[in-house]
Amino acid sequence: MASPLDSSQPRLAAGCRWAPSTTGKEENRMILFPEGAIKLQGTGRQVLERCDGQRTFSEIIAELQKEFGTTDPEKIRADISTFLEQLQKKRIVDY
Amino acid sequence: MLPNPLALIAEITHRCPLHCVYCSNPMQLAATQSELSTEEWASVFEQSGKLGMLHAHFTGGEPLARPDLRELIAAAHNARLYTNLITSGIGLSEPRLKTLVDAGLDHIQISFQDSREDSANWIAGAKSHAHKIELARGVRRYKIAFTVNLVVHRQNLDHLEEMIAFIEQLSPERVEIAHTQYYGWALTNRAALMPTQAQLNRAVAIVAEAEKRLAGRIRIDSVVPDYYAKYPKACMGGWGRKLMLINPAGKVLPCHAAEVLPGMSFENVREKSLEWIWRESASFRRFRGEDWMPEPCRSCERRSEDFGGCRCQAFLLARDATATDPACSLAPAHHLVESAVREANSEASVAQPTALSSFVQLQKLTTDLWTYRTNPE
Repeated sequence: MASPLDSSQPRLAAGCRWAPSTTGKEENRMILFPEGAIKLQGTGRQVLERCDGQRTFSEIIAELQKEFGTTDPEKIRADISTFLEQLQKKRIVDY
Repeated sequence: MLPNPLALIAEITHRCPLHCVYCSNPMQLAATQSELSTEEWASVFEQSGKLGMLHAHFTGGEPLARPDLRELIAAAHNARLYTNLITSGIGLSEPRLKTLVDAGLDHIQISFQDSREDSANWIAGAKSHAHKIELARGVRRYKIAFTVNLVVHRQNLDHLEEMIAFIEQLSPERVEIAHTQYYGWALTNRAALMPTQAQLNRAVAIVAEAEKRLAGRIRIDSVVPDYYAKYPKACMGGWGRKLMLINPAGKVLPCHAAEVLPGMSFENVREKSLEWIWRESASFRRFRGEDWMPEPCRSCERRSEDFGGCRCQAFLLARDATATDPACSLAPAHHLVESAVREANSEASVAQPTALSSFVQLQKLTTDLWTYRTNPE
C-alpha cells in the first residue's frame, strides 16, 4: 500500500474518533475505533491531532518540522509517513 | 490493583429472525418476558461509562428486535461509550439506520452466511440473504465504521475466495473471518460444522493472499480455529479481566457461555451494581488470576497469555471447568479435541450437500444434518 503523498489529506477513518475528554487537560488522549482504543502522547498525538482532512501531508510535516527544529527533517518525514501507513493498514486513518 | 473492564457486551435480546446453525447463544435462551427494560439498560450503560469502559457492543439474538434500540444506543453514547451494533441486518431499514446513527452509533457489523444465496439462507434457516445485501449497500452513505462478519465452517469454507470478492463490493473497512466456535447451538451441530484440515489450509492461503491484496483498503481479521491450533485462545482476554457480558435478563457473565458452568451463580444488574459485580462478586473472581490453575497451566510460561484457555470449553468437553482447555496441545484432555478433529477428517465424516441446490432442496436434503437455533419463549 502506498505512503501518503504530499497532497494527501489524512483524516481519521469512518467510525474512528477521539474519546471525549473527561477533565479537559489529559496528557494522554485516546482514539476509539471498532476493535479497541489507542492512547496517544507525544509526537503520535501531535500528528493525529493534525489529521483533520484539511491539512495536507506536506503541511503536517512542515508544522512538525518547525516544532522539532533540531531533528533531521527527512527523518521526521519518514517517521510520520510510516506511522500513518501503519494506521491506514489498521483502518484507523485514511488519506 | 484490579484494572477497569474495557468493554460491555450487551445481549439485549435473545429473539432473532434468523436460525443460524452456528449460533453461540446458549441452548437455554432468555425468555422475552424477562428482558431488561429501556431504563434498566440505560442505568447499565451509565454505570459502564463510570466504571471506565470504552465500548458497548450491542448484540443478541438480533438487537434490532428491540423497538427501543435507538434509545439504548443514545443512552450508551451519552455515557461516553463507543457503540457497536452486531447485527444480521434483518429489521433494519434505511430510515431506521439513520435514526441509529443520529443517536450516536459508531460502528455496524453485519454478518453474512455465504456468498451464495441458497446456501446462505440454508445456513441461516431463513430467507434473508438478498435483504442483507440491499441493506449493506446503504451503509456507506453514513460516516460510521463498517465491518462484515463471515462465520465460516465446513459448509461454506470452500467458497471463501468468492465470499471475500463478494464482500469487497460492499466496501467495508474490515472483514472478520470468524471460524465457528463450538458453544451453544454450534456445539450441538459440531459434526456438520467442523472443517477438514485441507479446507483450513486452503482458507489460510486465501486469507494471506487477500490480506496482501486489500492492505490499506480492507483490514482482515482471521484466527485459526482453536481445535486446529497448538495453544488455546485467551478466551475473552481472560476471565474477569477485560469484559462484562449482560444477558437479556440482566445476568452478568464473564463470557457468552458461562451459564453452562455447574455450581456457579451469577449476579443480576437488577440487584447489584456493575462495579460491585466486577470487583467483589464470587463469579467474576472465580477464575481471575492464576490461583485456580491446574498443571500444566500453573507452571506454563504461556499462562499469562492465554490464561489456561476457555473455562466453558473445559467444562463442555472435559466436564471440568477447572481443567486446562482441551484445545491446548499440552492439556491432559487434548485427546477429546484430537478425536473430534480426526472424525472431521475421516471418510465417515459429514458430507457436504451438492452445490447449486436451492434453499428448499437443501433443507429437505439435510433434515438430519443439524438443529436450527430456535427462539426464546
